[in-house]
Amino acid sequence: MMTRKEKMLWILYGIVLLLLFLLSSTDLIIKEKKTQIYKISVIIEDASDENYVNFRKGMDRAAIELHADVSFITLYDKGSGEQQRELMLREQQDGCKVLIVSPANGEQIFGLQEDKRINVPLVLLNSETVPGGDGIVETIGFDYEEMGRELGKQILREQTVNKQVHLFREQDPDEVSIRFGDGILSELEQAGCAVVMHESSGKDKLRHAAGQIAVKEGEHAVIIVLDPAGLTETAQAISEAGDDWQIGGLYGRGNTVRLLNYLDRGVIQGLCITDDFSAGYLSVKMAVELAENRIAEDTQKLESRYIRREDLRNVEYEKMLFPIE
Amino acid sequence: MKRMCRTAIWFLIWIGAAALLAGCQRTEGEGEKKSIRIGVSLYRGDDTFINNIRGELENCAKEYEQENGVKVTLDIQDAKGSQNTQNNQVERFISLGCDVMCINPVDRTAASAMIDKAMAAEIPVVFFNRQPVEEDMDRWDQIYYVGAVARESAVLQGSIVVEQYQKDPKSLDLNGDGVVSYVLLEGESSHQDSLIRTEWSIRTLKDGGVPIEKITGGIANWERSQASALMEQWLEQYPDTIELVVCNNDDMALGAIDALDRAQVQGINLVGIDATTPGLEAVRAGKLLGTVSSDKEQYAGAIFSIAAAKALGQAAPGELSLEEGKYYWSPQKIVVQP
Repeated sequence: MMTRKEKMLWILYGIVLLLLFLLSSTDLIIKEKKTQIYKISVIIEDASDENYVNFRKGMDRAAIELHADVSFITLYDKGSGEQQRELMLREQQDGCKVLIVSPANGEQIFGLQEDKRINVPLVLLNSETVPGGDGIVETIGFDYEEMGRELGKQILREQTVNKQVHLFREQDPDEVSIRFGDGILSELEQAGCAVVMHESSGKDKLRHAAGQIAVKEGEHAVIIVLDPAGLTETAQAISEAGDDWQIGGLYGRGNTVRLLNYLDRGVIQGLCITDDFSAGYLSVKMAVELAENRIAEDTQKLESRYIRREDLRNVEYEKMLFPIE
Repeated sequence: MKRMCRTAIWFLIWIGAAALLAGCQRTEGEGEKKSIRIGVSLYRGDDTFINNIRGELENCAKEYEQENGVKVTLDIQDAKGSQNTQNNQVERFISLGCDVMCINPVDRTAASAMIDKAMAAEIPVVFFNRQPVEEDMDRWDQIYYVGAVARESAVLQGSIVVEQYQKDPKSLDLNGDGVVSYVLLEGESSHQDSLIRTEWSIRTLKDGGVPIEKITGGIANWERSQASALMEQWLEQYPDTIELVVCNNDDMALGAIDALDRAQVQGINLVGIDATTPGLEAVRAGKLLGTVSSDKEQYAGAIFSIAAAKALGQAAPGELSLEEGKYYWSPQKIVVQP
């Protein structure tokens, strides 16, 4: 027969066990923190993600660390503002909390905001202008005009004065290429350097034009190509032509492995690069902060760098160009 | 008491009917699915062939969206050669609610854990490029495999050299000793394709009457940089001896070309497999004798169409004519210098 004290001890033991069970196996006492997963959509202005490889790495890293469900969306046709508009509306309808957009056509996006058809916060990539209206809009990106000025300075430093500078841009350039070109022109024209402008459209036009310049002017010609795809095409053409095309220098911007290979092989003399991994990471971070109704920084300007072949093995640039996730 | 029992039975019947109705409604909803989510895990995103397939998958998704009006979300992840990372990616795909998973396994013998997870979550899986072992493939009727027949690739690769030898023996037998001396660059030792490609490529050369002699060989794990380092070493060890480089894939052939360029050695013939974009450029530039192309559009198209059908709860597309109902073999062809 158990004594009263023993009975009490057993009851107490039972209560302790019950408490331990409730503590460890249920959330009745200790509430388990519910992880909120935010749906974020990234819509770029391009039909391919070739120029967004490092951006995506940063974006994926942030998605895992900050519990975001990030969809990366490319357009069906490069630079189509109409498609981007439709995709933004579709993503909003599908429950996306924040949109990260690299505008193909700023005006169309701003129109959506002003008409209040887009109600979710926006993070704009590489956009200088911010739309009016009540919507929340933050921007993140690089100062492409400053990048252009830096390239202009470097060209003036590296090339002798009697060289002819040719600047190639697309027939319908995007906002980034326009700002990059403006920066280069302001620096070169300020120094009294004449620049011949070329507009390229359609496949092989750029290759053909660069070939004509190379044959006609040879070492006296300096070629700058504003968009990474055009720069790749030109570098490939020069590389394939071998000794037949010798020019004074080829310059531009971009981070793709192909462009870096051309820089390493000496086909490209100088390249403006950006820390796309950080851009990807920070844009998602900004989006998560907006989704949580926290105040994110209004604008984040990230730095760009100018590199030459010998800089490729520099640890600082290696980290930027080949980020380890 | 009797009345209470009757009420309870009626109550249960009503619950059952409601559950049935709810079930029917859900099926109807699934039939009208307007968006699908596909998780794609790549064994290594920097593998050129895999990267080409990834690009084609994205194109397929866009075309499908435009043609069918069904939104396709592709979650593409790079496992960076780590099976552990890939297992975590599979878990993430499941937690994100993917309708189907397309997996390019890091370790083809370790697919079991991923299959377990997929089966538990009832998410169909389309494996590609690296074939899981048969026991794993047979575990569930919602597992598919898309790839190219390794033996066919190897035979086609061998026939590139055989044809060249028959056309102009001197172009291969550079020193005119009546024997074509070759080196071999092999893929991962654990990958079924590298063993089969090596065996059948060399056998085709012998059967085709090419007098060959192996100088050396090495495993470069499908990688351009590793192949380049090996080739550089062989060029120093066997100067003026190597006449042919047989490579299990294009990336390694390009690595060997890099080494040849650095050493400024010309005339050595190389053959690859995969017909990657840089591989095809090398063929056009006359640096690569030839390569074997497994139609990447068709390859990725097969992966995508099976995945899309499964995501919508449909049977795998009939036009693909799947072997044993689960294997799709992509057709291949030779690409040589014009």
